[in-house]
Amino acid sequence: MSLRHRIAGRFPRLVIARRNISRAKVRSILAAASILIGVVAIGAIGAGGAAFKQSQLQSIQAQGATSVYVSPGTDMEASHFDREDVKAIDETVGAATIVATEPGSMELITSDGTREGVSVTYIDDPRQLHEVERGGIPDNWRQSVVVSHEFAADRGVELGERLKLVSETETETGTVETEHTYRVVAVLAESQSFGGGGLFLPIEETGERQYSRVEVMTESTDRAEAVAEALRDRFNDRKDRLLVFELTSLVRLLKTLVNGINAFLAGLGSISLLVAGVSIANTMLMAVIKRREEIGVLRAVGYGKADIVRILLVEAVLLGALGSAVGLAIAVAVAMVANALFLGDPFAFTQSALLYLAGAVAFGILTSLLAGAYPAWRAANERPIDALRG
Amino acid sequence: MTRDTSDSEGAEPTETDREDQPSDAASATTGVILRGEDVTKEYQTGTQTVRALKGIDFGIAPSDFVAIVGPSGSGKSTLLNLLGLLDVPTDGAVSLRGQDVSTFSDADRTRNRKRAIGFVFQSFYLIPTLTALENVEMPRMLDKTPVKTRERAKTLLQRVGLGDRLDHYPDELSGGQKQRVAIARSLINDPALLLADEPTGNLDRDTGDEILALFDELRAEEDVAIVTVTHDAYVAEEADRVVNLVDGVIEDTGETAADGGHGA
Repeated sequence: MSLRHRIAGRFPRLVIARRNISRAKVRSILAAASILIGVVAIGAIGAGGAAFKQSQLQSIQAQGATSVYVSPGTDMEASHFDREDVKAIDETVGAATIVATEPGSMELITSDGTREGVSVTYIDDPRQLHEVERGGIPDNWRQSVVVSHEFAADRGVELGERLKLVSETETETGTVETEHTYRVVAVLAESQSFGGGGLFLPIEETGERQYSRVEVMTESTDRAEAVAEALRDRFNDRKDRLLVFELTSLVRLLKTLVNGINAFLAGLGSISLLVAGVSIANTMLMAVIKRREEIGVLRAVGYGKADIVRILLVEAVLLGALGSAVGLAIAVAVAMVANALFLGDPFAFTQSALLYLAGAVAFGILTSLLAGAYPAWRAANERPIDALRG
Repeated sequence: MTRDTSDSEGAEPTETDREDQPSDAASATTGVILRGEDVTKEYQTGTQTVRALKGIDFGIAPSDFVAIVGPSGSGKSTLLNLLGLLDVPTDGAVSLRGQDVSTFSDADRTRNRKRAIGFVFQSFYLIPTLTALENVEMPRMLDKTPVKTRERAKTLLQRVGLGDRLDHYPDELSGGQKQRVAIARSLINDPALLLADEPTGNLDRDTGDEILALFDELRAEEDVAIVTVTHDAYVAEEADRVVNLVDGVIEDTGETAADGGHGA
């Protein structure tokens, strides 16, 4: 007596069901294929969509979605923040990095004498925002300029070079132009965040130490949302002292949008699974009709109705499991392509991608089980002698 | 076999019919396997009520060989259903070893059928994808005793003369061999009663003879009672008793007509 025989003897219904499936191979394969298509549709759309969403979230976060931008509000007496204001903001937001800046614009006098507008950011220390690629920033960097990677690359600016800049100041008599010369002491590293281009000058160059923009950098979009909330609570109770701007609402919108589209597509995929269910039901019904006598014999020799139902349900589930297993393999492959495409790593499965894949398999098997119910019930309730005497 | 063997006259067709014993419950428990009293079966077809059996009595004891004959529509199938515990009577009582079948649940009937009754069919109904051995094992597959079942199945196939055909598939066997596999299958649970529905209907005369001889051996050696439904006059001749069913009533009782009885 072989071991295989002994083990098979422990799971007789499974053995019978498996044998029945392999009897009508083509029909079984077609039924399993219909489940496969449904599982691939749900799994691939769901997991691929999840990868797409993740990539969009990552890029939107790289664009500064984890930051909150604060400007003086309409009810603030001065049109800028002083040190005290920045300190108050710092206290309100708790554990976050605060970067206070003053944006401006100047004209660059190029080597051939023409003028070109450039954006200038006055800041205490550019390293708060970006890493330094080349050069260094001295503690006291008056008369020095730090240039962004893009600026240096576009204009071929080198370290030590002197830039001639013209600033304009409004006075009662008109616009006064002042020419300054700054030495390039550092080039910053490349950055994706917006407002990164241009020149960085010491905050002292504004004359007074005043800022009109404060960036609060946090760890996550959720944290950014909390910070924005705290700032509004503290400063904008009755008056709009601060203009708080954050990208988290944009992130939320994107999430809702992508989730909605994904659910809709996966829903379309589920329709294909329902069709697969119909196909399984049809296959099982044909099998039951074809095996009418055989089921009659089983009933006559002592198989109960419940035994017949179970054997046929196992058979339907086996068909579903077969289709789901192959479907899962294909869906995972598709998802890996999507991961590689959107996230740069084929194995970067997000949690929701895994959920979609598991859900597709569960749905595939459940569909088969439900589809097998009616044929199984019908077969079990056939009167054995009717089946056997035609 | 350890079954009650007090009745030994079963093999002799012309012996006294045991039906002239009083058919009370006490006697039912002594030796009779299956007893029916005033058994009526009605079917609803649309608005009409069809009375398939109109109050018949029967009793089957160990090693009996009863042939049920009659034109089609006479109620043979209905009777076979009742004998096989596949159905319950509308009126009257069928009892298995003294227990009223109508008190059984569907699961009880299935269990008792498995334990006490074997089935043999005209078209054999072997499962084509299973070998002879696996076909014989089939009724006991759910018992999860693969080793014991296999031993028993081998013994039975040897018993019916197919010890050298264990691993043959049905389409590699002749009609007579298939029927012998089917008989081995019907015996796997040591039934007391074998219900044979036209067992020789698809076989030629010589092969049919072999099957009937096998039935005789089983009755003699294992006390199995055999009830067969047949059109074949020659099978009926072999039986102890012939039940002639016409329009749901027993017309005469063939060889045992001498007792003038209604009993079968």
